[in-house]
Amino acid sequence: MEETVGSNFYEDAQVLLESVLKELLLRIDLLRRYEVLSGRNDPVEHCKGRIKTERSMIDKLQRKGLPVTLEAALEEVHDAVGVRVVCQFVDDVYQMADIIRRQEDIKVIKEKDFIKNPKPNGYRSYHMIVKIPVHLPDCTRELFAEIQLRTIAMDCWAALEHELKYKQEIPNQELLQKELKRCSDEMASTDLTMQTIRQMIAGADSK
Amino acid sequence: MRLLLAEDEKELSRALVAILQMKGYEVDAAYDGAEAYEKITAQMYEGIILDIMMPKMSGLEVLEKIRGEGILTPVLLLTAKAEVEDRVEGLNRGADDYLAKPFVMAELLARVNALVRRGGVYSVQNYEVGNVQLKPDGMELSVEGNSLRLAGNEVKMLSMFMGNPGRTIQVSQFAGHLGEEEPFDESMVNLYVSYLKTKLDSLHADVTIDGDAKSGYRLVEGAMV
Repeated sequence: MEETVGSNFYEDAQVLLESVLKELLLRIDLLRRYEVLSGRNDPVEHCKGRIKTERSMIDKLQRKGLPVTLEAALEEVHDAVGVRVVCQFVDDVYQMADIIRRQEDIKVIKEKDFIKNPKPNGYRSYHMIVKIPVHLPDCTRELFAEIQLRTIAMDCWAALEHELKYKQEIPNQELLQKELKRCSDEMASTDLTMQTIRQMIAGADSK
Repeated sequence: MRLLLAEDEKELSRALVAILQMKGYEVDAAYDGAEAYEKITAQMYEGIILDIMMPKMSGLEVLEKIRGEGILTPVLLLTAKAEVEDRVEGLNRGADDYLAKPFVMAELLARVNALVRRGGVYSVQNYEVGNVQLKPDGMELSVEGNSLRLAGNEVKMLSMFMGNPGRTIQVSQFAGHLGEEEPFDESMVNLYVSYLKTKLDSLHADVTIDGDAKSGYRLVEGAMV
């Protein structure tokens, strides 16, 4: 059963969150089209977003020892709005991060490069915490959003790791974790091999 | 396969070089100990033939010095005197084999062939150069906790580089250690060098690979982090 506090936790801010999510998805769509119009490759394979469910927002606030209030949800937690940008190649990830950084109205608050510095379990992605303005009749509000950029291989890996993390009581969990880490290192290596081949093809083209 | 022949008797050296080349080896000649040492530290060899009695530095001194620097290239010592002491001394200082002068050419060739056959040590030990670690049995390349898992030929090639830091490796030398399934030609070498450069770079390694197909490649320290 849902707690009553969870049923309408975001209150009026739900509209703001939805607006930020739409704005971000629309922007990324536009940027992709513009890259193609300019004769370059679409750097993005696919892109999706979500608003954190009220249940998991409350869980997160409690886990972090924060007050379970809307204010904390919007100011202390930065991924009420989350967008995931999945690219084909590693350079595309960095290129997209560059493009996002150049957007005048998007304020980059924090960046974490888990590709260059993967988490110990093997998690690789590029994370950006940004602030996006929402224009209301009488004021402008800024809301946090988290953008995760990664390659298809990293995305596939993260999906499997997610399954392992949320499944209880798996026999030989430790072995599977170790194997997953190995997979991540293998996929990262292959990502770089493919990027090198791609650069060689591009280099041969321009000659 | 590239050999260094360090022998101060010029005529003997010329004859040995000609015969070894006829048998398919690439051979560099050095005529004193100092020159031999210089060549060994600048270029990777699959085998080294060292005369003990040489000007400037004796073969034993060269041997001790290169082993002290971690250069594990197999060494065949040529001992002029048939003295047991020299042989024992040489083996103790890290020589792999010895041959007493005067010798029969066929025996020298047989010993050189055996010497380079044993040179395939490059894929069993762990390597550490700069901030880079390579564990060939786990095929793992890592820098300060960030790791990548390499493909078989990448491991072998990087083992050659890390086993010979700073020393030039010619494109033709890779062929002898890589590509058991398909020939490892120049374009393959270039491609695999590119892979390794990209991967070292992505890990923030402080070493990189320098050079080109023509003059050979070498691992250099002090890359931009």
